[in-house]
Amino acid sequence: MTFQEIILELQDFWSKEGCAIIQPYDLEKGAGTFNPATFFGALTERPTRCAYVEPSRRPADGRYGDNPNRLGKYYQFQVIMKPVPVGITDVYQRSLKSLGLDPKRHDLRWIEDDWESPTLGASGVGWEVWLDGMEITQFTYFQQMGSMPLSPVSVEITYGLERIAMSLQKKNSVYDLDYGGGLTYGDLHKSQEREFSRYNFETADPALLSRHFNEWESEAGRLVDLGDPLPAYDCVVRASHLFNTLEARGAISVTERAHYIGRIRGLARKVMELYIRTRTPEVLGAA
Amino acid sequence: MSKKVAPNKGVDFLLDVHTEPLPARFVAPALEQIKCAATRFLEGRLEHGEISVAGTLRHLILRISDVAPKGKDQVQLFKGPKVQAARMDDGSVSPAAEGFARKYGLKPAQLKDVDGVLYAEVRSAGETANALVLRMTNDILQSLQFPKVMRWEESGFKFGRPLRAITALLDGKILPISVAGVKAGRAVHGHPALAKKPAILKTPSQHESLLRQNLVIADPVERRRYLLKALDLAVKNTGGCCEGDESLIEETVFMVEHPVAILGKLRDEHMALPAALLKMVMKKQLKFFPVVARDGALLPFFVGVRDGLSMSNELIREGYQRVLEARFNDAAFFVARDRATSLESKLPLLERVTYQKTLGTMAQKAARVSDMALWIATTLRQTSPVDERATARAARLAYADLVTDVVKEFPELQGQMGGVYARADGEGERVALAVEQFYFPIVAKSPVPATAEGAVVSLAGKCDSLAGCFVAGLIPSGSTDPYSLRRQALGLLRIVLEKQLPLDIDEALERALALQPAGASDLLKLRAQLSEFIWGRAQSLLDEMGYAVDEVRSIRAGALKNFPNAFRRLAALRAVRRDPAFEPLTAAFKRAANLLKQTKADDGLAPDRALLRETADLELYDALVRAEATANDRFVRDDFEGGLKSLASLKPHLDSFFETVMVMVEDETLKRQRLALLNRLVRAFRRVADLSEIQETEPPRVEAAR
Repeated sequence: MTFQEIILELQDFWSKEGCAIIQPYDLEKGAGTFNPATFFGALTERPTRCAYVEPSRRPADGRYGDNPNRLGKYYQFQVIMKPVPVGITDVYQRSLKSLGLDPKRHDLRWIEDDWESPTLGASGVGWEVWLDGMEITQFTYFQQMGSMPLSPVSVEITYGLERIAMSLQKKNSVYDLDYGGGLTYGDLHKSQEREFSRYNFETADPALLSRHFNEWESEAGRLVDLGDPLPAYDCVVRASHLFNTLEARGAISVTERAHYIGRIRGLARKVMELYIRTRTPEVLGAA
Repeated sequence: MSKKVAPNKGVDFLLDVHTEPLPARFVAPALEQIKCAATRFLEGRLEHGEISVAGTLRHLILRISDVAPKGKDQVQLFKGPKVQAARMDDGSVSPAAEGFARKYGLKPAQLKDVDGVLYAEVRSAGETANALVLRMTNDILQSLQFPKVMRWEESGFKFGRPLRAITALLDGKILPISVAGVKAGRAVHGHPALAKKPAILKTPSQHESLLRQNLVIADPVERRRYLLKALDLAVKNTGGCCEGDESLIEETVFMVEHPVAILGKLRDEHMALPAALLKMVMKKQLKFFPVVARDGALLPFFVGVRDGLSMSNELIREGYQRVLEARFNDAAFFVARDRATSLESKLPLLERVTYQKTLGTMAQKAARVSDMALWIATTLRQTSPVDERATARAARLAYADLVTDVVKEFPELQGQMGGVYARADGEGERVALAVEQFYFPIVAKSPVPATAEGAVVSLAGKCDSLAGCFVAGLIPSGSTDPYSLRRQALGLLRIVLEKQLPLDIDEALERALALQPAGASDLLKLRAQLSEFIWGRAQSLLDEMGYAVDEVRSIRAGALKNFPNAFRRLAALRAVRRDPAFEPLTAAFKRAANLLKQTKADDGLAPDRALLRETADLELYDALVRAEATANDRFVRDDFEGGLKSLASLKPHLDSFFETVMVMVEDETLKRQRLALLNRLVRAFRRVADLSEIQETEPPRVEAAR
């Protein structure tokens, strides 16, 4: 099964489970959780069922294309559902089977792994799912967001697509994966990894990044004051990625780090509060 | 306690709470709670046979045998009026007593007189077993505690992980429980990947075998046996065995329902990485068991434990090896990056690591530890000389590995990696070993640093941590001890004891306190507090070694000035105490000490033989002088037992002194002389122990407060 067939299969599977298949959100972000479909979707009382591919950028994880298992940018496949369907862990197990990963023939383990994002005041309880020792999925029941208890609870399932593909295709290097269309994953991503590693670790301009951080931060604050949570949220996502880049660049000291995180968290919370305040019950959930 | 009742009298109860996978660490404590809660609930209410629990990450199981059909009749007493108030003057029943009796459906004559007060005794028939077991089960499900709970459905019910099904049968009937949208039934859910459909349970007794058929070994003890056997079998041809790691075994028992062991191989290129790092990656990141030779050396194998059957094991082995190799490649990348620069050149990075808000950076801590280490080495120069150059070098490098990638990834490898990197940098073995063992002893019974240099540097680190945290107000209380100061204090004591270092701990801590950046308001008070804290650890250490509480108390004076010496004094006391003549000696000693205390005569006046009068005075004086001389000879040779025995020879002279002379005579000069004589005697003994602390019959050993 090629990389793209895995995506197509998962989209098909979750579409049949009643999910809307939405598109990636067009901003750099560290995880699919930052997609407004999850960030705002989990906040409201309205039922939510959607699934999407999300490119995730983790500047500090880049390895210049040298490490066969670590990437500065990779793909997550994310499912977000609320209320939680009964037997969701069984549904997930079936989705693996649809990819050709028969749980009978593999070692499938659920390892305690609670999730916490101090920047979002968010936390969840769940597992990482191991397939023959490899972590292929994060499975989380959201409990809190913006430091508020969530009701109803949402479940978030995040598949690590590259890892699943490596297991299915029995490849030891991510770059050797058959992507589909006659291309390898390396054809599509290796130079990107190399150049972005150099950028993130060596050539990014810390002064420019921190200036941008400050600008997007104040813009977010201004938009919150104007009462527009969605554009304000985009500013927060941008600031968050700038912070990640600054950190990879080694431009943030330990004490500054806590301070930066505090600033992002404060903004995210304001946006969340504003969002809840400004949605009328009928449109709650329509991010 | 559960009472055994005659077999066949009652019926069996079974509860199986089926959940989504619980964290391994949740299961055993939950089972323990379930057993306790059931036992407590049924006590006095319902007769039953054995109560047992079993479980896996997906099943919490309670079994009760021989449950009686009906609960015991319950008797309740209600307090009423006093007996005097129940009778009118004419002897008739008072309205108050009548009303009280009526309220409980009794006649006044049926009220019970208990110590002059009337009680109404109300009997109620026992509830049915069904009603009681239902209430018990609901109680258990509602009150079960987990380290962390979650919500997942609309009722907001909290549990360790979502409930999926409840099997609850009393005899053959379903117990009507309903929690968080889950209704109890007969379905038994086997292994999630291997069992086909849920099995149907007809009677409680079939439950275990039904689970077994569906590839769930429910009993943790049996599962553990099964696992250990599987591990043994897997390594049969390697010439080694799985490294016995109790916490990994326990975790594995609660991570799989049907363990199958799979042997895999490590690649030669990875065997060049530090063994401690390889083991850590296997155990912590992947829950694999390292395979070691008889001498503990790592062999190029590992064992992974899968959940299920031996089906397509080859595929899984490949998967295990692929992921392990990826992790080792990552580790190799970190090691290579760490090795690109020397430990020395990493030191400036410590300036960017905060140790504690008020205590500054790790660089500052490292400087203090260097200062302390040098000071300790200097004070011990006469008695226990160390290679001061190596000590200073090791102290300088002790914290450098904290900024390495490997230690950032695996904090447990602090020290160990420092040692590895120090060797690679070409530091001498003395330096490398001291760095490696800087955090020794890691746990209560693990070894202290092997070398004198290692001991000194390690002591310096511990003194600084203890002093710093006390200054910062991070004094352990109750169960909170975030900087594990108790362990550090115990480590400090064990090092000086096992390495026989006559370090003045009080003085060392005073110096460590003075070095702290945040000036404390009351250093004297802190010093006393810290000294008491260390002494508390010393008490518990000595208690664990088998010394009685009173013996330990008697050597308190000066104990921290020279702990190995205090320990020898304690051992001497213990040895001499076995002598039957010792107890009367203690009594005489106490009499002398009390007299001195009452008269506040501890003024250091030396007794003068010329001013003493009676034979008993003079005999005691002469004997004391002789005994002191012998004892002194022995004390300087650290023979405290011999010294104490020479002093004990004074017993008959002391007895005849107390029998024949009065201490508190009118003659002021004589009185003062006699007190001075006793004072000299008491002081002589105190060089070993304060015998007035010794209780007449040896008290039972008590566990010192933690």
